[in-house]
Amino acid sequence: MIGLIKSTFGDKVQIQLGALGAAAITANNGLHRDVLKTMLAADEKTGITAITGLDLGAIIGVYYHIHTSNVFVTIKTEVTKENPKTQTIVDLHLGAAFHELEVADLLGVVFEGHPSPGHFVLSENWPEGIYPLRKDVKANEIKLVPTPASEEIQLPENKRLVKIIIGPQHPALLEPEKFAVTVDGETVTKVEPRIGYVHRGIEKAAESRGYMQDVYLMERICGICNSCHAYGFVGAVEKILKTQVPPRAEYLRVIALELNRLHSHLLTLGHACLEIGYETVFQYFWRDREPIMDLIELTSGNRVYSSLMTIGGVRRDLKDTDIPKIKTTLEELRAKLPFYRQIYENEPTLKLRMKNVGVLSKQDAINLSCVGPVARGSGYDVDVRKDEPYSAYAEMPFKEIVYTTGDTWARMNVRMDEVEESINIIEYAVDNLPKGPFRLELPRSVPAGEAIHRLEAPRGELFYYVRSNGTDMPDRVKVRTPTFANIPSFLKTAIGESIADVPANFVSLDPCFSCTDR
Amino acid sequence: MTDTKTWARVKSPWVLHFNSGACNGCDIEIVALLTPKYDVERFGVKLEPSPRHADVLLVTGCVTQQCAERLKAIYEQMPQPKFVVAIGACACSGGVFEGNYNVVGGVDKVIPVTAYIPGCPPRPEAILDGVVKLLNALNPPKPKKQPKQAKAPEVAKPEAAVAQAAQGIVEEEKQVAK
Amino acid sequence: MIDFFMLIFRILIFPGFAFLLLLTLFCDWMERKIEARLQNRVGPMVAGPGGILQPLADFIKLLTKEDITPRAAKKTIFKFAPLVAFTIMVFALCFIPIDGASVLSANGFSGDLIIILAFATVANFLLFLAGWASCNPYGTIGSARVLTQFLGYDIPLFLIALTPAFIAGSLQIANIAAFQSTHLLPFILLAPWAFVLFIITMQAELEKDPFDVPHSESELVGGLETEFTGAKLAFLHLTRDVQVIFGSALVVELFLGGPYGPVFFGASWFWFTLWFVLKLLVVVAITEYITVVFARLRIDQVLSGNWRILLPAAILSLMLTVVLVTWVYPLVV
Repeated sequence: MIGLIKSTFGDKVQIQLGALGAAAITANNGLHRDVLKTMLAADEKTGITAITGLDLGAIIGVYYHIHTSNVFVTIKTEVTKENPKTQTIVDLHLGAAFHELEVADLLGVVFEGHPSPGHFVLSENWPEGIYPLRKDVKANEIKLVPTPASEEIQLPENKRLVKIIIGPQHPALLEPEKFAVTVDGETVTKVEPRIGYVHRGIEKAAESRGYMQDVYLMERICGICNSCHAYGFVGAVEKILKTQVPPRAEYLRVIALELNRLHSHLLTLGHACLEIGYETVFQYFWRDREPIMDLIELTSGNRVYSSLMTIGGVRRDLKDTDIPKIKTTLEELRAKLPFYRQIYENEPTLKLRMKNVGVLSKQDAINLSCVGPVARGSGYDVDVRKDEPYSAYAEMPFKEIVYTTGDTWARMNVRMDEVEESINIIEYAVDNLPKGPFRLELPRSVPAGEAIHRLEAPRGELFYYVRSNGTDMPDRVKVRTPTFANIPSFLKTAIGESIADVPANFVSLDPCFSCTDR
Repeated sequence: MTDTKTWARVKSPWVLHFNSGACNGCDIEIVALLTPKYDVERFGVKLEPSPRHADVLLVTGCVTQQCAERLKAIYEQMPQPKFVVAIGACACSGGVFEGNYNVVGGVDKVIPVTAYIPGCPPRPEAILDGVVKLLNALNPPKPKKQPKQAKAPEVAKPEAAVAQAAQGIVEEEKQVAK
Repeated sequence: MIDFFMLIFRILIFPGFAFLLLLTLFCDWMERKIEARLQNRVGPMVAGPGGILQPLADFIKLLTKEDITPRAAKKTIFKFAPLVAFTIMVFALCFIPIDGASVLSANGFSGDLIIILAFATVANFLLFLAGWASCNPYGTIGSARVLTQFLGYDIPLFLIALTPAFIAGSLQIANIAAFQSTHLLPFILLAPWAFVLFIITMQAELEKDPFDVPHSESELVGGLETEFTGAKLAFLHLTRDVQVIFGSALVVELFLGGPYGPVFFGASWFWFTLWFVLKLLVVVAITEYITVVFARLRIDQVLSGNWRILLPAAILSLMLTVVLVTWVYPLVV
């Protein structure tokens, strides 16, 4: 792929191998569209992972992080602050819509040709012209304008259509976000999301805290996949520092990440049952989740926020006396799985609610750059643990779970099977734990540089970009969470189905809005 | 009659959970309260869907700008007597996110709070403990026996403060009812 | 004169209003305990011994809450519909023989089966009106679903209720119950298919899982109850609970032999009430068990299940009963 780009574009682009993925390609003046077109034509599994916007002084950098079936590259472009205009790539790849909106909202870049510009993560009472991620904006100097009279709920022109607002306070959703669903009778015709209710400005806050403090800050992006966020940040920083952590630390990290995956999947499986009114199975799933929380507490000292990851390794060692307890708990969980599988296979009401609901075709999953169980439930086999193994995953024996039907039932089954695979991984790691140190002492200041790190969080591919300028505070931290990539798929699958299916469909993509909004 | 009223209110607190911009940690610990290991239904606590049905508002999250107005609206929709519990370090004061540009920081900057439960996230046992303390504080305080010698003045216990707040609300509603 | 006081006593205390109210609260507690135990939990424990006073605490607490009427609501219907619905349901219960005779008149009158089913329909309709009058989008959608569901399921309900009437040869509930007692054959043995269908239809009428759609929190917030607070909410909840008692009482009368059973010693009314309550609790336990074990179906699945499966089954059941009663049972019974 990189050779193809070199030969097509020659001197018009600069290629830097080994940076920000397999290569960083600098392409200005709208050339990024042509590069992307070439890549899309060459490999149909090309998709966009993230678009990072960063304030580089007089210019704003817009980096497109692209994944293909075998390489990960970054296309770097620049726009000036006086005239921050660039061309959109939404017509080439639908999955880029949300990413461009976010860069526009937070940095003020105008993407010409974007179908629906507007506030994305910032609130309606945000003053015009102030872009939070620009360096000259200070948090305590922002004056909010009064909220416009109504949030301008546009009523559909066709009077027969009804617009139902779901959220921000809604018993189905643990988190606040708003979906305006337009229905014709009982069939959904359009879904308009409004996110940003959980936007806490974490990326900006990271720039005014030290690297060690940022580990704790990044962890708190999401309580459910907290270890993954911490690991993403720590992994990127270690790449800038060009250090290799000891093997025991890698294994301990894998154990922490897989425990995280276990508790998250059990949580989702239970929550999905709650959505379809199946309270009994919800209670059973969460009852079986409690021993995993006990394990997380055993290994790290806290039930939810394990805070095990640190720059240079892990914070705590695993005692040999704890290992038998880990193994017995996992055995008990493994013994319970056939009961749940049997419910999913045989329970008629559950199958009526979940089968053929929210079908996402494989082509749509590829076009929208879906990740995680959402993609794997539709036959699109992306899993960062297999595609680009990180930490100690290259040595772990596990299967990548792929189902092809693409409906809610398939996605939940992907998660259930992944529970079993996670148990396998943890047991292997615990049995083969290498000896040695579990942590390296690293300097507080990080030399100038930038790096990316990708990992497979329970919901899908999590992407971190960290840029440092030689001080003890990062220059820019960019996070692209899996739910951010998966929401467009919900907007697609909900159309044409009954509104009564919306909760079940929505929960099957395992949305985590605190991840999305950051 | 007051005793029966208070008894009924203490034995049957219905809660509404609102996430005002939280990371989900506190929320999953609240949902864990309903599950077999902690089973908060023992205390008569039911998770209600509508603000109109609830007595206690459990708020998590550091209150983002977008959520501040909604939080106020939900609080006003609840019928008296009502109590607000701020769960988690973020709800108490903004937590790690204090000072960020989109964060108001702390629930008590938007609505009055009756009880604070710190933690990041607080364990389900801690949330239960806080809720039970809130309920017990609703009971009128038992008269204390006069001490024989003069003792150093006692630091006001948190239960007393909560009880006073609760009494205040009860009296306020008596005013409203008149 | 004594008869008059006796009547007042029967209406207000036993087996009338007070008794029915206590029975309702007890069944609410029992349902919550069964649900909790099946879900591996414990259920209410703190209010009274074993949590038995929990429904009473809920009721009293709701009565002491502030009463809010939204500005846009249709005030008269909003204020009175819950109370009137509750009254009608209790009134319908008064026709069911509990201690050997019903509350109001000793043996009812011919056709009272149809009358009380009609009362139940009217009460449901009032609940729909209550939700509609609250002028809240969730309330409107919720009450529309209530209407669609109970109107649809009323038809098979009436048809299946006719089965025991047909076997007993009378539309009078007291006669149906007495028939089972004199012939020592509860209709559950004579027409078990009707019993099963009746339980399923009753599950849908009472809006319990798997036909729980009007209450589905995940879509409709509070459903038709969303805007109600305080005393009105208390009566809405109480109406729901009384509906459960009503449905179960119907099952007991029509299929399980009513209050009749062996009288061992002493007053017959004591034993009749005891048998009635015991059979009622068994039926409530069965319906609660079904509720806990199934997920919630979508509204279109509920409605298509009604028209495509339940209604033809009800018609077939009636035809089968007619055939059996006319030709088979006279040879056997």
